[in-house]
Order: sequence, then structure tokens, then C-alpha cells
Amino acid sequence: MSSMTASATFESVEVGDRLPEMKKEVTREQITAYAEASGDHNPIHLDEEFARSVGLPGVIAHGMLTMAFLGQLVADWAGRRQQVRRLQARFAGMVLPGDTVTCTAEVVKKDSSSKRVTLNLGAVNQRGEKVITKALAEVEF
Amino acid sequence: VTDVRHVGRSYRTQPFLVTEESIRQFMSAIGDTAADASIAPPTFGMVYGFDAYWQLWQDPEVGLDVGHLVHGEQSFSLERPVRAGDRITTTGEITGISRRGALELVTFECQSIDQDDHPVGQATCLFIIRPA
Repeated sequence: MSSMTASATFESVEVGDRLPEMKKEVTREQITAYAEASGDHNPIHLDEEFARSVGLPGVIAHGMLTMAFLGQLVADWAGRRQQVRRLQARFAGMVLPGDTVTCTAEVVKKDSSSKRVTLNLGAVNQRGEKVITKALAEVEF
Repeated sequence: VTDVRHVGRSYRTQPFLVTEESIRQFMSAIGDTAADASIAPPTFGMVYGFDAYWQLWQDPEVGLDVGHLVHGEQSFSLERPVRAGDRITTTGEITGISRRGALELVTFECQSIDQDDHPVGQATCLFIIRPA
């Protein structure tokens, strides 16, 4: 979504609304950049040989990178980043360099007293395999 | 195998100064092109809290097998927005150690406070340690 997109308002949101999908191609460079930005230099994300030695198919992306995509999807939709008050996810599958992750979100609850909206989130790779499950966000309006 | 007696062990970070530069670096890494770098993205808690996770991973007494550790689940909840200029201290505590089949599960709960000792947010992390 671009910054030109109109932000959601509490009044306009309805249970069942689906956000536009967000697609991200994950590259080795991005994984390295995420390691730098987050401080997480675990070699399973950076060192091909080490990753193989511990039984992985090669370096894998940080689960937190995919979760950050979900945070971005929801924040862009809400309009302001600080509206995202809760975010949770289960990392169900590995994301490898070259994978394309598609992030989805659907409004499942709208609470008028707290002016909070709950969204179910998901992420799949290019083969349709779930890489994130049991994910949700709470957005405050 | 991680000993259950380590439940309750905790680690505290040094105060982490949130800067627009650190927010921008994070946004750039995740491919977020939004203009605003004054407010931290929703998963930025991993950045200011990271040293607590790092201390856990490096604790020789706990002896986690970091090479076989994967991130199973994560949640963040925020009491208030995190802004550039905030100085945030995070305390992470091991709150659970259990087994599920061949997997070992370690739950780590983090509480973050700001420069005025007011709560900023919580994070809960489930680590899974695969068999070697």
C-alpha cells in the first residue's frame, strides 16, 4: 500500500473487511540488513555453512522479519503506526532467501467501547505454504 | 536439556536510546517506505529488547543450544507509542521450560520501561530448541 491510500477509520471498518495483500520478496541482503538493524546476528541467518551444519536447508530469514512485514501491513492500513497496540504470531515455516511472502489481514472484531479492531493475520510463501499462523493484531482508533 | 530450575532467571538490558536513525535503519531493513521515522514500528521491541534475549542465549549456566534454537511464537503489546528520544530498559525473565515430544520449549517474557520508569510494553517469546 502506498502512503496515498486513505487510512481506515473506525466508522468505516467492518468485520470481514480484508486488507490489500502485501507481497515481499526476501533477499539475502535484506536478511543481513535485518540482522544489522535488530542486533540479531545468529549465524543461522547469515552463515550458509553453519546453517547447514545444524540441519537447516541454508540460511533462513528471521521470523521477526516476516512479523515486521505484518506490522507494516497493519500500520499502513491504520494510517498511524502507533495505533497498533498488539501484535502476535506463530512462526510455522521457514522463509529462505528468494522466497516471496504474501501477508494478509482480515478484520474479525470491532469493539465500540474500546474503539479497538482485531485483525487475523497470515503469511504464506510462493507455494502457498503458511509461514505464519495464529497471528493477530489489535488496532486502536 | 535445559534445567527447569532456570525458570525465574532474568536479564536486564542497558537503557536503549531510540533514535530516528535506528528507526529508519529498521524500516529500511524491512522495506517500509513510510515517511515517518519518529514512531517505532510495532515489532521494534525486538531491537530495544534484544540484549535481554542475547544475554539469555549467551548464559553459560542455562546453556541453551542456540544453533538449534528457532523462534516459535512472539507477541508484543504496547502501553504507549515508542518515540525517538525514549530511553528504554527491558527485563526479560524465563517463565517456562517444558518439552513437547523431542522439542524443548522455553518461554521468555519481557517488560519494558521508559526513562521515567513508566511501562512501555510487554513481549512474550516462545523459543523452540530442536533436537541436535
